[in-house]
Amino acid sequence: MAGLDEIQLYSKRRAIYIIVGIVMLLFVGRLIQLQVLYQEWYGKKSEENSFRTIPRDPVRGYMYDRTGRLVVDNRPAFTVTIMPFEFDKRNINYLATLLAYKQEFISERLGKGEQHSRFVPAKIARDVDFGVLSALEERRGSLPGVDYITESKRHYTTRANASHILGYTKEISELQMKSLGEEYVQGDVVGASGLEASYESVLRGVKGAEVSVVNVRGQVIGSLDQGKHDTPPIEGDDLLLTMDFELQALAESLFTDKRGALVALDTRTGGVLAMVSKPDYPLEAFSGVTPPEIWRALNSDEAKPLFNRATLTRYPPGSTYKMILAVAALERKIVSPSWQVTCTGAYRFGNKTFGDEHVHGTVNMVEAIQRSCNVYFYQLMMKTGIDVWAEYGAKFGFGKYTGVDIGEETSGLLPTTQWMDKRYGAKGWTLGFLPSLGIGQGELGVSPIQMACYATALAMQGTYYQPHAVAAIKRKGLMRMDTLRYETKHFDVSPGTWRVVREGMRRVVEELGGTAGLARVRGIQSAGKTGTAQNPHGKSHAWYIGFAPFDEPQIAIAVLVENVGYGGSYAAPIAGMCIEKYLFGRITRFDAPVLPPRPARTDSVTTLTPITALAPVDSLKFPGDGN
Amino acid sequence: MAGQFKEHFDVKTFFTSLALVIVGLVSIYSATYDAGLSDIAFKQMIWAGGGLVIMLIIAYSPFKLIQFLAYPSYVATILLLVSVLLLGRTVSGSQSWFNLGPLRLQPSEFAKLTTALALATYLSRSDISLQQLKHLLVASGIVLLPVVLILLQPDTGTAIIYLAMFLPVLFWGGASHFVIVAAIAPPSVALAALFGTTPFLIAVLVFGVLLYLTKQNRVLAAMVFSVTVLVGVSSQFIYDGMKPYQQKRIQTFLDPSSADPRGAGYNVLQSKVAIGSGGVFGKGYLQGTQTQLNFIPEQWTDFIFCVPGEEFGFLGACAVLFLFTALLVRGVHVAAIVKNKFASFLAIAIVGVFAPHIFINVGMALGLLPVIGVPLPFLSYGGSALIANVMMVGLLMNLYANRKEY
Repeated sequence: MAGLDEIQLYSKRRAIYIIVGIVMLLFVGRLIQLQVLYQEWYGKKSEENSFRTIPRDPVRGYMYDRTGRLVVDNRPAFTVTIMPFEFDKRNINYLATLLAYKQEFISERLGKGEQHSRFVPAKIARDVDFGVLSALEERRGSLPGVDYITESKRHYTTRANASHILGYTKEISELQMKSLGEEYVQGDVVGASGLEASYESVLRGVKGAEVSVVNVRGQVIGSLDQGKHDTPPIEGDDLLLTMDFELQALAESLFTDKRGALVALDTRTGGVLAMVSKPDYPLEAFSGVTPPEIWRALNSDEAKPLFNRATLTRYPPGSTYKMILAVAALERKIVSPSWQVTCTGAYRFGNKTFGDEHVHGTVNMVEAIQRSCNVYFYQLMMKTGIDVWAEYGAKFGFGKYTGVDIGEETSGLLPTTQWMDKRYGAKGWTLGFLPSLGIGQGELGVSPIQMACYATALAMQGTYYQPHAVAAIKRKGLMRMDTLRYETKHFDVSPGTWRVVREGMRRVVEELGGTAGLARVRGIQSAGKTGTAQNPHGKSHAWYIGFAPFDEPQIAIAVLVENVGYGGSYAAPIAGMCIEKYLFGRITRFDAPVLPPRPARTDSVTTLTPITALAPVDSLKFPGDGN
Repeated sequence: MAGQFKEHFDVKTFFTSLALVIVGLVSIYSATYDAGLSDIAFKQMIWAGGGLVIMLIIAYSPFKLIQFLAYPSYVATILLLVSVLLLGRTVSGSQSWFNLGPLRLQPSEFAKLTTALALATYLSRSDISLQQLKHLLVASGIVLLPVVLILLQPDTGTAIIYLAMFLPVLFWGGASHFVIVAAIAPPSVALAALFGTTPFLIAVLVFGVLLYLTKQNRVLAAMVFSVTVLVGVSSQFIYDGMKPYQQKRIQTFLDPSSADPRGAGYNVLQSKVAIGSGGVFGKGYLQGTQTQLNFIPEQWTDFIFCVPGEEFGFLGACAVLFLFTALLVRGVHVAAIVKNKFASFLAIAIVGVFAPHIFINVGMALGLLPVIGVPLPFLSYGGSALIANVMMVGLLMNLYANRKEY
């Protein structure tokens, strides 16, 4: 080759080959690094790029009452979402105006969503009004990343609120997100109170997921492998309640102008038939988005509407507690049923005088219960002593949790010697404390649900149930019904004792001189006991516990009306009406006895309407009522 | 008969390039499959068909005609480069296109070829020696003229190719090691300086030692050394004077994670994800999610290497690299076996055009080099580049066929 040295060319050619070879080996090395050693990491990256897993929320389970009537179901609600990576933050102001939300609120929600993932839509505004949604839809072109999804919100089918027992659902808080576990993300709705909270795991169902393929702009191209990777959400299971919503609606209406609580139990199962805590609130207020004003109003209301009085209060039971002392004294043979006390209207112990409403004269135990003679029980308490009394209180479930399935409750307070020593010091209290306890005053603290269980135990002669509102769970996916089992305890008390105590309670309602004539139900015999619990903050709390029918009890009830006065005047009539409603499906107590019975109406609404109108019980004051 | 045919037809070069063109069409089809740009693959197929005809025409043209046309074609492309600056059409910030009805022509692609021709013609003259400064300067001038015109467009990537192509020619032509080191040192030190002080000092030290080893006259060596240091020091200032997109590309190269994920670094990251996720066997043709869902912007141009990388995996990527290696080796082989000096220089210049394209483009797709807008020969979409490339293959085949001519 002319002009170029052959030998030099040979070495130059080799040099170039070596350079090309080195570069190519470098590339192959890099390919091995990327495609073999780090394939997994890059593979994951590419999946994250192109697959989007969008969770699909399941439909929350329904609730049915004992008659099979649908009580809680769901309605569609529109939720506005923002896909963070597509959204232009300059649009926040505009979006805020459209949604009528504060800018900061949207920024905060978006920020939290972004933290979770830039490629998962963040829920911004729940339960958006349809008008707003249309406005949004029109302007979608100028609001990239803004979309809406259809979710469900709770819907309540009956006229009853049942706020505290059913409970409300609420968007998950950060605290709950940590405690409830990984399945939950921001924007999820969870049960926040009542049955919604305690049966959250049953009602919630299982989330599904849709795996979509998206392009570089995040647009969904289609589902991955024709939906092979999708999992459908599994509907939540349904609750079959022990409740009777006819009764619940009536019970609530009877508290229209009152504060207080009512618990009615099925004496054969311990199932809750009705549970009222007043004041309450419409659950609808929580089904969508709850405006902060409403939250503030409910939280700061001095009447504490969010507070479940049926399970969380701790009031002295007053005279309704006298049967405990009677049972204790009879069982321990401290006195016989015929033991008599002459009531002069007061009882002196040391330098203290314990009063009574009336001068009852000479009474035996049955009469003392019937007429609620305090003096009798002062003296009986002195004979029985605090520990025997407390032992029987405990048998009836006081000072302990009932185990009711609606979440929060209080154990109340049942004083014993031990407790008194701790509270006042071993020498800090005297026997002078006992007479008050004997009539259900003093340190003693009980909740209405405990009282209803107590009434049940009296009705069933020693059978004590774990109260509950859910009878069974309908497992839709498994096509089967799971009946829930609850604890049932029985404690032995001699039939003679029961006979005496229950006769006293029967006379309270049925006999002249009893304190709860207003609880009487036409056609059956029932039993009960009134209580008027003194309290330092205003008028006394009115109590009534009872059960019916007397011979074959089906319903036990406890009623508490705050700061009104006598139990016989205020609490007993409510119980009477509820018992009649439950047993007969009608209320005839206000009809004149000469009139033929009204034809039974099947339409619950028309039956209920006049009751609501009659509900204020002020006119029903019964002057002869005494404790 | 077959032996006779092989004697005049460079089977290896032809089939290697044909395979690369086919891989290119297959890759472009995949890259544009879901992007609603189906006409791109079709257009490229037309270009490939036309290119094949041109390639064969050049392969069978008389050797003398090629020598005769070398200078005129160089002058013609220089004129085209001047007029494209005056009349051309701006595409993505660079004025490098001619609109000829439905065809858009990029003169800078053809100028690579004609510069190679002119350089080979000049260096093949018996009175020319690269040892002489005057001749070295003329040769540099032949290369720098189009470089200046292309930098004015501006198209940094293509300009770099011209400079890179000059190196093997200098080496082949017997330029002293000093010249080669002097040509490499300043840009290398400048690049090292962008990485920080330590790489800069190491580079300065390495090139200082290399210059010393070339045993050149001390004054000249000192001059080159000072220029190198000066260029290195001033590179930061040059960097500041750069256009933002150029700065960004350099930043991205230095630290891909710091750059905006949607910016220049995004491309590199997505490219690496595409290739890395391909694994050993690939995701299958038209199954690459990165490719099909367009995660790599304009993938059919500069990032086409990701397609075989993702869809055919390590095996596919290696096959492509093997084809390129075969082509380069074949070019060097032709340069070594031809009897004619012009032919030898032309072959090595053609290798000098292909090699930096391949190295820079693949290095970029693998995240080893900064993002420089350089197409991958035969694979990247682009009619002008494809035609220019197959013309160079045609030339190689012609040189092989006429290898025994003096």
